[in-house]
Amino acid sequence: MYLTRQLRQLPRSRLTRHIASGNGPHYTTAAPQPAAEHIEIPKRIERSPTDLLQALASTVGRDPTAPHYKYHDDPFLIPMSNITKRTYALSKEAGRKAANWIKEEHRELFMHQEAQPPIEKFAPSMVYTEESEVDASSLQLLISQGELKDAVLVYNLLVQKGIEVSDALKQSLLELVCFYNNEEPLPEEYIEERWFMQNSRRRERHGKTWKDGELAEKLYAAIEPKTPQSYAALIRGMAKYLQCERAYALLQEANEKRIQLDTNTYNAIIQIVSFIKDTAEQRWQMCTSLLNQMAEQQLKPNLGTLNAVLECISTFGNFKLARSSALKVLPEFKQLGIVPSLGSYYYLLIIFCRERAPVSHVIIDILNDIGGKEFKVEHPKDTYFFATAMDVCRNHLHDKALAKRVDELLHTGNNYDLIGDSFKEGIYYRNYLALLCQTESIEDFMRTYDILVPNIYIPEPGIMEEILRAIEINGAVEHVPRIWSDMVIFDHTHRESLLLYVLRIMVDNRPNPELPSQQQLPKQCANVALDMYNKIEESAKRIKKVSFTGQMLGDILTLLVRGNSSFDKATEVFTYIDKQQHRIPGTPADSALFEYVEACILNKAPSQALMALQYAVENNMETTPLAKRIHEGFTLSEVHLAKLKSLVGEGFLTK
Amino acid sequence: MNFLKKVTTQVLPMAEAHLSLGNNSALHTSAVCCRVQSGRYRITVKRDRPLTYEMANPPHFIGHRKSWNSWNTSTLKDALRPSQTAIEDVFIRKFITGTWHALVCSEIIIKRQHNMIRIAAIIRQAISARKMYFLIGYTEELLSYWMQCPVTLEFQTVADKKDVVFKYI
Repeated sequence: MYLTRQLRQLPRSRLTRHIASGNGPHYTTAAPQPAAEHIEIPKRIERSPTDLLQALASTVGRDPTAPHYKYHDDPFLIPMSNITKRTYALSKEAGRKAANWIKEEHRELFMHQEAQPPIEKFAPSMVYTEESEVDASSLQLLISQGELKDAVLVYNLLVQKGIEVSDALKQSLLELVCFYNNEEPLPEEYIEERWFMQNSRRRERHGKTWKDGELAEKLYAAIEPKTPQSYAALIRGMAKYLQCERAYALLQEANEKRIQLDTNTYNAIIQIVSFIKDTAEQRWQMCTSLLNQMAEQQLKPNLGTLNAVLECISTFGNFKLARSSALKVLPEFKQLGIVPSLGSYYYLLIIFCRERAPVSHVIIDILNDIGGKEFKVEHPKDTYFFATAMDVCRNHLHDKALAKRVDELLHTGNNYDLIGDSFKEGIYYRNYLALLCQTESIEDFMRTYDILVPNIYIPEPGIMEEILRAIEINGAVEHVPRIWSDMVIFDHTHRESLLLYVLRIMVDNRPNPELPSQQQLPKQCANVALDMYNKIEESAKRIKKVSFTGQMLGDILTLLVRGNSSFDKATEVFTYIDKQQHRIPGTPADSALFEYVEACILNKAPSQALMALQYAVENNMETTPLAKRIHEGFTLSEVHLAKLKSLVGEGFLTK
Repeated sequence: MNFLKKVTTQVLPMAEAHLSLGNNSALHTSAVCCRVQSGRYRITVKRDRPLTYEMANPPHFIGHRKSWNSWNTSTLKDALRPSQTAIEDVFIRKFITGTWHALVCSEIIIKRQHNMIRIAAIIRQAISARKMYFLIGYTEELLSYWMQCPVTLEFQTVADKKDVVFKYI
């Protein structure tokens, strides 16, 4: 503290000295120094091996102009759509898995030791078979490494050979088996697979997956006498994999036998109350009775209890009861000194902000409470907060300022780690962008869009439509070429509704050539239209094809005509319309044909104009204005005049 | 072999003592070939051999016009593992050219810093990006199992092999 103050003064004193040095001896004007300088050397701070790395890492944030660092830094290898982001990351991981497989398959080649000290992960893992020489210590090692399959194998071997396994070891194996439900978990190092895992976890929530009568229960039976820990492990396992009735029965059994259970076991049971009782009142009753039991046994509730109770409340169909009980629970836990995690706030949001309930502004209070704070993951549901909060901002309150506050919180400290997985991140940004494009001015929105797209988030077609709607409402046709090129990159060009939308915006908002910012626009729009025409023609060969409609072609024609320089292309498109008129559903708008005829006049192409007229006649469209315009615009030759007459009759010339 | 004869006659008086023992090949008199040939490419008749920039510059330009292919400190005084490093580098080069079969169109540069190995090369875009990512993951992981240290690939891609051709000789 003292030192820093000194340092801050340093430049100032030097400055005075410098100024003063011109008119006198400099030592007289130097800043007054304290008589006896006393330097206090701070105590050494214990650092962990990664502290330096973390300090370095904290100086760099996410760079939105570059793709995520997991992708290779080369234009060819940078992903440009959601699907490629996923495939590239997963392919890389698949390659890693292949290498791992090779290592395990050809273990004899990888037995060398280069690293000092040896690194276990680089060496092939131990293989246990029926013939392996095993003892209790190897089982202990495997359990501590979390190798479920091998641990079970070794345990069975030990039982077969009649080697005594201590109860403590059985207990730790029971805990391991219960935690994973005797299924091999996804190895820790495959982070991409976790990141892109499609919510399969949540779907699992709905059914019982506990393996009845299998190893866990056998292990439990083998432990005699039963300890509180063995009860706790089995109850928690059953509760986690939704064997609800038996978990609850076991809890009651333990209570009858006066076995002291722990808080986390009660938490597990409170979490599954909604599966045991059906109505809200019964659930709440059971919940309170469980909490009372905990109080009787003098168990101190923790964060898990709070979240479990809130989860139970969030399943109430009756929103009034849900709100009132949540409001009762919160102060009690606050009194106990339990700080809610993001998961608790997530539950509050889903309790208070429901579709079929009055609007609640609870999120404002939450943000006032936690704004600017840094969070660490403390509960599995912590990762649900941000996606839900943004969803509430968009769909429940429709409030831009709140959304910005949530975004600010997300980018505070390391809070981005709590975004969850790619699925939740997608939901978050989908809601954020959709809300912004509805509420912000188009210029401000495009600024955010430039930051987020395409490296952090790539809009889905639905969000693209929202963005286009915002552009249409604001008449900001100057953004269309940019958006179109993004759409091409993101592979949205096979969505007919999007194509029609883009065309409609460009046709309805005729650029004003007098504005300097819009001078290039007609040409750019014509390019977009031409690009679209080619894309659709190409797509005819693909499975996912878009077919032309008359409306679409008419719009393309109009844009090409407005682009001035592209009259040849316009003629080509019109010939296509004319030739394929039986195959294309609908006809171009009258205005499209009229503009085309105007362009024919400008380019002195009477036969094209007459072709347009003929098309209009054949398709029962408005012909009189067209015919008139052609008659006035050209000095027609005999042949053309005869054609005109034959198309619309003699009558109109005399009018 | 004419020039050899000429040389032999000149040094004959001096070497007489040795040769008198009857062993004719004790004195090596030919020029050092490796300095003349290694790292250089012969001009073809049709002048159609493609050379990259690195290939076009003979070894004496290392450090001037082009750079080293292996970057490490193993050859400094008292440095560790000089021979192992050289052998490992050969292994890495063979492994990469084999795994990225017919795709590597430059030298493979191996840079070692601390316990980290960075490998750079130019790769042809002949396979899809997805397959490339698979190979990247596979190469990095397998090489790190082999060398037991972190390995990073820093590849760049070119659309066509001709993009790296500097000249034809």
